[in-house]
Amino acid sequence: MTQSAGTNHTSWCPGCGNFPILKTLDNAIETAGLDRHRLVLVSGIGQAAKLPHYAQANVFNGLHGRALCHATGIKIANHALEVIVTSGDGDMYGEGANHFIHAVRRNIGVKAFVHNNQVYGLTKGQASPTSDPGFVTKVQTHGVTSHPFNPLAVAIVEDASFVARSFSGDAAHLHAMMLAALEHTGGFALLDILQPCISFNRRNTFKWYRERVRPVPESHDPTNRAAALELAFQWGGEIPIGIIYRSRRPSFEAQQPALQKGTLVEQFAGHS
Amino acid sequence: MELNLRIAGEAGQGIETTGSVLIGALAGLGLHVFSTQDYMSRIRGGLNWFDIRIADKELFAGTRKTDLLVAFTQEALETLRPDVRAGGLILFEGEGAPGVLSLPFTQTATDVGGSTIMANAVTAGAVFALLGSDLEALSAQLKTTLADKGADVVEKNIACARAGAALAADHAGSLTAPAGAGAPEHVYSGGDAVGLAAATAGVKFVTSYPMSPSTAVFTYLAGVADEYGIVVEQAEDEIAAINMICGAAYAGVPAMTTTSGGGLALMSEGISLAGIIEQPVFIFVAQRPGPATGLPTRTAQEDLRLALHAGHGEFPRAIYAPGTIQQAYDLTRRAIETAHRFRSPAILLADQFLVDSRKNVAALDETLRPINRHIVDGPPEGYLSYALTEDGVSPRALPGSSAFVVADSHVHSEDGHITEDAQMTVRMQDKRTAKGAGLTADALPPELYGPHKADHLLICWGSTYGPCREAVDTLNAGGASAAGASFASASFAMLHFAQVWPLDAAAVRRTIGSVGARAITCIEGNASGQFASLLRQTGALDTCELMLRYDGRPFMAGDIATRVAQ
Repeated sequence: MTQSAGTNHTSWCPGCGNFPILKTLDNAIETAGLDRHRLVLVSGIGQAAKLPHYAQANVFNGLHGRALCHATGIKIANHALEVIVTSGDGDMYGEGANHFIHAVRRNIGVKAFVHNNQVYGLTKGQASPTSDPGFVTKVQTHGVTSHPFNPLAVAIVEDASFVARSFSGDAAHLHAMMLAALEHTGGFALLDILQPCISFNRRNTFKWYRERVRPVPESHDPTNRAAALELAFQWGGEIPIGIIYRSRRPSFEAQQPALQKGTLVEQFAGHS
Repeated sequence: MELNLRIAGEAGQGIETTGSVLIGALAGLGLHVFSTQDYMSRIRGGLNWFDIRIADKELFAGTRKTDLLVAFTQEALETLRPDVRAGGLILFEGEGAPGVLSLPFTQTATDVGGSTIMANAVTAGAVFALLGSDLEALSAQLKTTLADKGADVVEKNIACARAGAALAADHAGSLTAPAGAGAPEHVYSGGDAVGLAAATAGVKFVTSYPMSPSTAVFTYLAGVADEYGIVVEQAEDEIAAINMICGAAYAGVPAMTTTSGGGLALMSEGISLAGIIEQPVFIFVAQRPGPATGLPTRTAQEDLRLALHAGHGEFPRAIYAPGTIQQAYDLTRRAIETAHRFRSPAILLADQFLVDSRKNVAALDETLRPINRHIVDGPPEGYLSYALTEDGVSPRALPGSSAFVVADSHVHSEDGHITEDAQMTVRMQDKRTAKGAGLTADALPPELYGPHKADHLLICWGSTYGPCREAVDTLNAGGASAAGASFASASFAMLHFAQVWPLDAAAVRRTIGSVGARAITCIEGNASGQFASLLRQTGALDTCELMLRYDGRPFMAGDIATRVAQ
C-alpha cells in the first residue's frame, strides 16, 4: 500500500533504517486491520518525520518538536481516529522533550513510534539527545559531554501506560511491537525504535545494535515498575528490546466529561 | 448625572468580591454601570482598587476622580484621597483619620456574620445606605451571587449588609445616586463576552498556558465547558497550546487559545504553521505592557506589531480589536467565522482594560449557534487538500472522511505533499496571497462617531473606544472651552477601528477625507503610535498627531478631552 517504499521517491539514503520501519508500519497497519481513512500519521521535522508522506493515510507533517502537540489536538478533536506519531529522536526527545513528558503525563491516546538513531540526519550529523557520551561530530568536536536522554526511563517515571523498544533490523520484532502498541487502548504508547544511521552515525551501526539487542526476558513483569526501570537503564553491553512497562492509568480521553458523549467533531456536527 | 465609587485595599481583602456584588446590585436598580479594576501582580498586600461608575446614561469608560472612596488600608487612604472630588465621602476601616467616616467593617462582619469575609457585605450595605438606595436590590444580588454557598451563608451576608447600612445610617443619602434609568441588568466583563461568544460559536477545544490578563477568558470557558461540551486543557507552554489547536482544527473542531504578549511571542512559529497548513485557529490576546514580563496585570496596546507579524514567512491573517463588551462578543464570533471561511489564523486583540471592565448591556445570546466550518462532506474522488482556486480557499475535508487529508508545514503541492518545485512554490504563495485579498474585502470598516464633518478627528482602535467616545461627547458639549481651548466652537469626531488588519486602505482614506478635519490625532496605548504608522504605511493616512499613553493604565475620557483641547 505504500507509494514508494524502497524507491528513489523518498529522500532517505539507500540502506537507511527508515525503510524497514516504513515497510513494517505498513504491514502492521494491514495486520491490525486499520481503516486508513481513519488513521492519521503525524510527524515533526527530520528525515524520519517525512515517513507520513510515503504512506497511505491522512497526514499531519507539522513543526519540529511539536508532533505530539499536533497529535494531541487531533486526538482530542476526534478520538475515534487512530493517531500515530512517527518522528525522530531529535524531534521527540530534543526540540519536543517537554511535550514528550507532558504527553506521557496526560496519557493521551496517541502512539509514538520514535526512530532513534542517536544522531541528527537532516542537519547532517550533529549529536542528538540520545547520542552516546564521547560521540564526535563536526559540532561536538571534542565529543558529546551531555548525559544521554533516556526516553524509556523518563516515560516509566511518569507512569506511561505503554513503553516498548524495538530495533529496525529485526522486522518481526518491530512488527510485533507495533501491533502491541496499536492494540493498547489505555492511552499513550511509546515505542522507541533503535535505528542505524548509515550516513552520520559510524558508532551505533547496524552491527553494533545487532550484537547488543536482546529480547526482554520472558520472566519480566511489565507492570513491575522497578524491574522496568532496571531494564530501561540497560545500555551498552546488552540492550533489552520488547515491552518494558505497562500501567493501568485511565487515558486522557476517558477522563474528559465532554468526550463521553462522542467525539467533539461529531458533537459539533450534531449541533450545526 | 453620575457618581464614581471606589473600593480600595490590599490584594486578598475581597476588593473584587465587594465590587462584583455592588455592580450587580446597582445594575439591579436600573442604573447604568461601568467598572474597572486597578490591581497589582501579587496575591496578598499592595494596593488594588475596583471602581464602579454609575449614571442615568450609558457609560463607556472609567474616571480618575471618585465621589466615594472606601479604604480598607492606610495606604489606600493616603494614595487615593487626592482623587476624591469636592463634596465626596471617604469610608475608612481604621481609626482616627480626620475627615473620613471610620466604620468597623471587619469587626461588624465578625459580630454579625461570624466571619471577617463578610466585611464585603457590610461594606456594600454601607455604600447602599450612603446612596439612599433600597437594600432589597443588594439582598437580591447577594442571594444570586452566594446561591451555591447555601441559605445560611446568604442570610448571614444579608444580615451583614443590613448592619453595614446601619453603620452608615447617620449619613444615609449623603451621596445622590442617579435615578434608575431602566438600564439592562445583565453585567458582563469583556472577558465574559469573549468566552461566551466562543462557547456559543461552537468552540470545542480550548488550551492555554495561564497568563495575565488573558486568563479570565480561559477560566470562563472552563466554567461553561460542561454546559457547552468543551474540552479545556492547560498546556505545558504556549508552544504546545498553539500547536495543539492546529491539530484540533485539522481534525475539524473550532479550537482556540488564550494568551498575552509573551505567550503570543512563543506561539509565533505555530501561527506560521496555521498559515501554511491553512487551518482555522483562533487566538485571543489580552495585551499588557512589555517588553518581557513588563507589567503583568496592567493594560497596553503595545502588541499590534507583534500580532501583525508573529510568524515567519508570508501568509494572511485577520486581527480584530473590540472596543466594547458588545463588540468583544460579536467580534469573537466573527473572528472564528472568518478563520474558517478563509482557512487562516484569526486574532482577537484585547487588553487588560477591556477584559476586566464590566458593564450592563442587553443580554448576550447564550444559545449554541455553531459557526459554518465550510467543510466538504463526502469529498470527491481525487480530492486535493490544497486545490488551487480563484479565491485561494481550497475546499476543506476532514480526516476520517473518504479522502486522505494532508497537512504539511513544507511548501507542498495541491495534494499536500512536499515539493521544492519553483513554480508550485509561487502558485501556493499566490494562493495564500489571494486569500488576503478576500480578507481585505471582508474587513470591517471603521466606525465614525460624532458629526460626519468635524474640525478634529480622533482615531483609535480596540479598547480606547470608550474613553475616546466619551471625550468626543464632552468636547462637542462645550467641554473644549472649559478645558481652555482656543477653538471653543470646534467640532470633534472619532474614527474607531474594531478590525485592525487587513485594512481596506483606500476606503479608510476616503472616510478620513470625508470628515474634512483640520487636525487628526491618533490615540493609542503605546509609545510609538503603532496603529498610526500602520495607517501611514498602507497609505490610509498621510500624517497625524499622536496622543500616547504607556504607563500601564487605561486612557480616561477627561484626560483625552483636556489634552485634545490643549
